Amino acid sequence: MNDKRNKLTAIVLLLVCSTISYGRIKLVALPERAATMIRLDNPRATLIEEERVLTLQKGLNKVDFSWKGVSIDADSIRLRALDHSDKVTLLSVSYPPNEAALVWDISSDSDYAETVRISYLLSNIDRLITYKAIADKAETYVDLKSYLVLRNFSGEDFDKARVLLDYGEAFEQGIDHEETKQMLFLKAPKVPITKIWKFDAAKLPWDPEKLENKNVGIPVSYRIVNEANSNLGKFALWGGKARLFQDDGHESTIFLGEDMTGLVPVGEKMELYIGDSRDIVVTQRKMQDTRVVTRKNNRGDIVLYDTNEQITAKIENFKDSPTMLTMIQHIPGQWDMESCNMKYEKKDANTLEFEIQLPARSEAGPAVKELKMTYHRRHLRPGKEPQLPVRR
Amino acid sequence: MKRIAIVLLIIVAMTNISRAKVDLVTLPSRDTVQLTIYNSADMTLVRESRALTLKDGANKLQFSWANTLIDPTSLEMLPKANADKIDIADLTYPPRVRNLGLWNIDSSVSGKVPVEITYLTSGLAWRAFYMGTLTEDEKTMRLKGYVVVTNNSGEDYENAQTRLIVGKVHILDQIAELARRQYPYGRPGEAIMPPTPTARMEESRSRGIVMMEKVAAMPSRAKEVKKEGLSEYFLYTIEGTETIPNGWSKRLLSFNIDQVPVINLYKYEAERYGPSVVRFLSFKNDQEHKLGETPIPGGMLKVYRGVGDQGHLSYTGQSSFKYIPVDEDVELNLGPVANLVVEPKLMDFKTENYRFDRRNNVSGWDEIRTFKIEVRNTRDINVKVEIKRNFNTQYWDIDNSGDFGAFEKVNLNTVKFTLSLQPRSIKKFEYVLRTYHGVREENWRP
Repeated sequence: MNDKRNKLTAIVLLLVCSTISYGRIKLVALPERAATMIRLDNPRATLIEEERVLTLQKGLNKVDFSWKGVSIDADSIRLRALDHSDKVTLLSVSYPPNEAALVWDISSDSDYAETVRISYLLSNIDRLITYKAIADKAETYVDLKSYLVLRNFSGEDFDKARVLLDYGEAFEQGIDHEETKQMLFLKAPKVPITKIWKFDAAKLPWDPEKLENKNVGIPVSYRIVNEANSNLGKFALWGGKARLFQDDGHESTIFLGEDMTGLVPVGEKMELYIGDSRDIVVTQRKMQDTRVVTRKNNRGDIVLYDTNEQITAKIENFKDSPTMLTMIQHIPGQWDMESCNMKYEKKDANTLEFEIQLPARSEAGPAVKELKMTYHRRHLRPGKEPQLPVRR
Repeated sequence: MKRIAIVLLIIVAMTNISRAKVDLVTLPSRDTVQLTIYNSADMTLVRESRALTLKDGANKLQFSWANTLIDPTSLEMLPKANADKIDIADLTYPPRVRNLGLWNIDSSVSGKVPVEITYLTSGLAWRAFYMGTLTEDEKTMRLKGYVVVTNNSGEDYENAQTRLIVGKVHILDQIAELARRQYPYGRPGEAIMPPTPTARMEESRSRGIVMMEKVAAMPSRAKEVKKEGLSEYFLYTIEGTETIPNGWSKRLLSFNIDQVPVINLYKYEAERYGPSVVRFLSFKNDQEHKLGETPIPGGMLKVYRGVGDQGHLSYTGQSSFKYIPVDEDVELNLGPVANLVVEPKLMDFKTENYRFDRRNNVSGWDEIRTFKIEVRNTRDINVKVEIKRNFNTQYWDIDNSGDFGAFEKVNLNTVKFTLSLQPRSIKKFEYVLRTYHGVREENWRP
């Protein structure tokens, strides 16, 4: 213990002595830290709970708790007597000036060797979650592994502590200051996945011909549902970086890509963007955008108009497998559809989602589908046209 | 130089693990190594197999990688035998030591255990490179594809199975950046920058790798490159193994196809290319063109033309092109030319149909322009010419006459004429464009 750093918590029992104001006298009895618990169930702060045995005397006891080299939220410190909670009372807490310390006034009705639990929030110690998933060659499922990464930069060495997450059993783990430890904590084999190709007209360029020698990749994602059918669903999956690999059929893997996931509660979906498909090409064009004036003012200026607009989007699948492309289109403001040759779902007032089934490429060439929608935007006022939140 | 070192530490005194006396037992060497190199990002997946000698009980395996560009968070070890008896308890990045990881392994077997260690590194790269040789009549081309693999990773990879990934992989952090971090996962409280959309889209080509191409000693036969599709990517596996020392590059032949039919395509679009006609070489990545087995990864193509019987060459130009899926058309921009001329001339201009508002100011009118376009092919080969005209309004009508070929409305304010010309020939056509302005726009009908 001596060569280890233990900057935290010199606990000093102050015997009831004359005056506190003149030079605080710190008196011995440095109780050993017993069981220590690192609680990582709150992602924003880490709670340390440690037990120590205080030798209390009948009457008033002053216990000094101080720390250096670590960052403790002083307001978070709590003390709880475990053996004689009804006979040992915390009367008050005082904070000495310019010191990282506090003094507990504890009243005890007898002499006790009292076990107390001290809880506090300690900074710069936390955990990360990372995921590693290996997809099968056909991309129907992934073997999902999740790692817990403990990072301790708190200034304090923990020789042996119980580490508790928000689920599962606590486990024993020591971690030194400036040490990072990575452990496997979840293994879910054969988690079904859905592969999604998504073209969002507000995010991707419309006409690849206009880009000089640049491919427009269609983002590809894997969707995983956190439920029992997926060999998951026992607890929320924490957010973290996920790296995806794929079995290449040669007893090896390739790296597919990586993405950051947010917290995924039970029953919710996780969507991981792995990379771009350049074998699906979307060429979207505006074929018509004209005004139909509905009202002019006395000066003859247009004050109200509608539009006639037509969008075409040619979708070519150069892949040798069929694909379902999700296409998102946006129409700002008030509008009505005159004709659309494909079915869509209105996701909100200004967002249309198309699910477009594309057959595989054939001898004749790529599979081609063309979306054609003609719509009118209504009651527009010059200079006050509604804008989409996302503009190309 | 070998910079990755593995040390197996076997704990002798089992009582107090934290101050155990450790014995350095073996220094297992790499048995096999496989490199999977990406080109959409500076990233390589390395998979190596080593045989560890484990003892029954707790084992510590130290892996260090000073002066390399390994991402420590990507390190993973998997036992390839007795997997149920070997538990990799954790991977520790000890305090105040850089470029070192320590695996704590609980084994219930003793003896040799094959393990596989995988990690991501930066510093290895590959690019595609092409050479095209046109026949003298420019009807067909011999197309040779190469891959150039460069190793600037700091580590020598000997006898490595080399694989290349064609495709655009989504990554959040640059591997080189992760490799430079002081602490593999950073410190708590450090802001983790969310990836900006621009960074996502950006292809990390600006890597500043110094290319030192070196002609490798060629065996009697060029190595084959096996190509297969995986997910949205293509995997190229180079036959056999390669040794690429740190700092070296190697060029390998990927394919060699003769007599790919090509079309000499010329494009004219004043707003985009200026007054000159731009030459394109066009073909299709399909079977008809003796291609079409796999997509063609983007890269630079240098085009030559055979001259005379002596096998002399004339340099035509170069073009970089994008990834070409199977069955897609390829158009290689070889730059502006003077031997094909497109000359649009405004022959007539008039206005009519004036409208006036209440105060007798002009509120609407039509403009009528007559254009004559002359296309002159001064070359002695057949050519195809695409002429695009952009109008600055969507309220227009057009009337074409003469030899205008195929006409197409591209979008609301662009049209395209496609013509084929015989050697040394001239074609002429005319169009009359009426555009509607002001309140006259209301009279326009699609």
